[in-house]
Amino acid sequence: MAQARPKVILKFLTITDDAQINAWKEILAEFQKIDGGKWSYVDIAFESVPFQDLFPKIESAVAAGAEMDLVQSDGPDMKHYAFYRSLLPLGKYFTEQEKKQWLPQSVEEGSYRGELYGPPMMQSCSLMMYNREMTDAAGIKPPDTLGKSWTMAEALKAWQKTTIRPSGSSVPTVWGLRWGQGTWVGDYEHGLFRRSNGRKGSPTYEGVGPDGITFVGYLDTPEAIQAMQFYQDLHRRYRVTPIEPIPQIFETKKAAFMVTPDNRIGELNRLYGEGKFPWGVTGIPYFKTQICHTGSWHYGISPNTKHFDEALAFVKFASSDAGARIWYKHVRQLPANISLLNTLPEYRPGGKQYMWVEAMNKIGVPRIQTPAYTEYQQVFAEMTLNIIAGANVAEQMKAAARRAQQLAAKYKGWK
Amino acid sequence: MDAVAAREVALPRSWWTARRRGYLLALAFILPAVVNFVIFRYLPIFAAIRSSLWQYSLLGGYGEFIGLQAYLRMLEDPIFWKSLWVTTAYVLMKVPAQIVLSMGLALLLQRESRFTAVVRSAIFAPVVTSIVVISVIWALMYHVQLGLLNSIITSVGLPRIAFLSNPRLALVAIVIMMVWKEIGFSMIILMAGLKGIPDMYFEAARIDGASGWQQFWRITLPLLRRVLMFVVVTQTIFSFQVFVPVYTMTRGGPLDATKVIVYYIYQNGFLFQDMGYAAAISTVTLIVLLVVSAVQMWLLRSEVEY
Repeated sequence: MAQARPKVILKFLTITDDAQINAWKEILAEFQKIDGGKWSYVDIAFESVPFQDLFPKIESAVAAGAEMDLVQSDGPDMKHYAFYRSLLPLGKYFTEQEKKQWLPQSVEEGSYRGELYGPPMMQSCSLMMYNREMTDAAGIKPPDTLGKSWTMAEALKAWQKTTIRPSGSSVPTVWGLRWGQGTWVGDYEHGLFRRSNGRKGSPTYEGVGPDGITFVGYLDTPEAIQAMQFYQDLHRRYRVTPIEPIPQIFETKKAAFMVTPDNRIGELNRLYGEGKFPWGVTGIPYFKTQICHTGSWHYGISPNTKHFDEALAFVKFASSDAGARIWYKHVRQLPANISLLNTLPEYRPGGKQYMWVEAMNKIGVPRIQTPAYTEYQQVFAEMTLNIIAGANVAEQMKAAARRAQQLAAKYKGWK
Repeated sequence: MDAVAAREVALPRSWWTARRRGYLLALAFILPAVVNFVIFRYLPIFAAIRSSLWQYSLLGGYGEFIGLQAYLRMLEDPIFWKSLWVTTAYVLMKVPAQIVLSMGLALLLQRESRFTAVVRSAIFAPVVTSIVVISVIWALMYHVQLGLLNSIITSVGLPRIAFLSNPRLALVAIVIMMVWKEIGFSMIILMAGLKGIPDMYFEAARIDGASGWQQFWRITLPLLRRVLMFVVVTQTIFSFQVFVPVYTMTRGGPLDATKVIVYYIYQNGFLFQDMGYAAAISTVTLIVLLVVSAVQMWLLRSEVEY
């Protein structure tokens, strides 16, 4: 029988996402039951903000000393927050055995200088999903194995064929492509263009210098510029993807193809019912090197917390196999927990989502490793929006490389 | 010294005179406002000036002392100059349009009737509605493919207009929305000013055969100068500080076409971890606003008393 204790409410800063919030609510309900109800007095108050507002929100909350216990932090930002001590180091609270329950890529992403700062919520890799009804109608059969994935030029033909313009209208009723989740232009998916146009090990492919703070000569190589020129052409010349993004474009059947992680499946099931949406998946298109970005969200504990024990206990449970199983039920994205991943039939060879595991292992790479990732991503997004708006691609990329390098200079010696 | 004066000197004089009591009472009344101003206005201004002299970020705190480097950097920063120009263009478009339209509405709706009361309320409603909500709704209305405005435009056979993704139109689109939102505020202030003008001037003018236009130019406008000054100055300051619609609708794009100065400050401080530079831009913006306000006050000064 648990002792009657005063209620503790953990403040949790998250992105706005109904599926995730629902998952945490169920995880919390289970957490309150474990160890004979030891944590039954713990509750969570969620504060949710859109993806692009999360980083400034975390920064201002930490700087202002605002009461905050838990933080949802994106993988590549973990090093940034660790550098600034905006998250508490958690390595000593997890045994080596516990750390082995997650994929090594996830442990590395959640660590800084060998110290774990936050366990993973899940893993990721983006592939190209498509609406089977639309591809069938256009007489297109996308490759069903990763090894036969389309190049960008091949994919362009499919995007053009599936873009439907009513006669006399300049605006399609169905677009060929939405590249990336949501309506934002973050580095996670949009940053793949430039890296894909380099051979493995080249500056273009690496995306940033080995020191993690050099962008000139990496972000603005001729190959990277060429790739982003193609990206601009998709919007303005071929017009297979909208200049003004459309929310839920794939889910509302206004786009035939979408580059996304497999969390899209969870959303489609919620909207249409389990297995009702006619989706298929094919490899992510590429220029020279096929690539997807790995890594996903992590749990973090704020240095401002006044309830460390409760926050830690919740994080440990939520990131355990039991918590991850509940999470997967709602979010339906590649788990970071190895044993859970191994028990899910959809991720076994022949399973409907197997290609995401295969891609993560074969073509998956972490996003660029830099403590300035937060600043870089903002510069990158602005550059990308300007490119979509029709700006000179080379000028934009050279300016962005200089700006990112200038902003990253303060991290000299971070390693 | 005569006897009377000597007696006065001899009287014990109390420090607690009526005059001093009055001063202290007045001080007690204004003290909360003074404290509020010092804590929430003046201290942050000094804090910002101090921050601008250091390498400073929210997470990293104060780094090395850089003196006036941030100000020198500003001089060579094309985006700073562009954002200053965009803000100026926004002010030059919005303030005159809002003043002219709200003056027209104030003149039209100053007569008391049930109809004018309803219309006034309708015009004033956006003023008290959340700017975030309004921005989100207008962004949807402006959407090139999904927007209500483009549905209307295409229904009459005209081509779609990319209100927010066309660099030439985006700022104008925000100006239109903000005039619609804030016109009620200036209309109410101007109506109060109109009510304060004694009717006898207009009666005398009518007897002398003055037309409506003549009454407006010779009586209404001169006697409204002070109220107009208040509206112009406050609207200029508010317009210089525009942020939310830009943040919500365009994020400063496309191609920096809507990157107003406050958004650029936010971007540097919160997104680029460069709070020192953001503070320097804030300081310069404050100086610009003070100068602009002073010039406006001088230009609109009024010697007319009534």
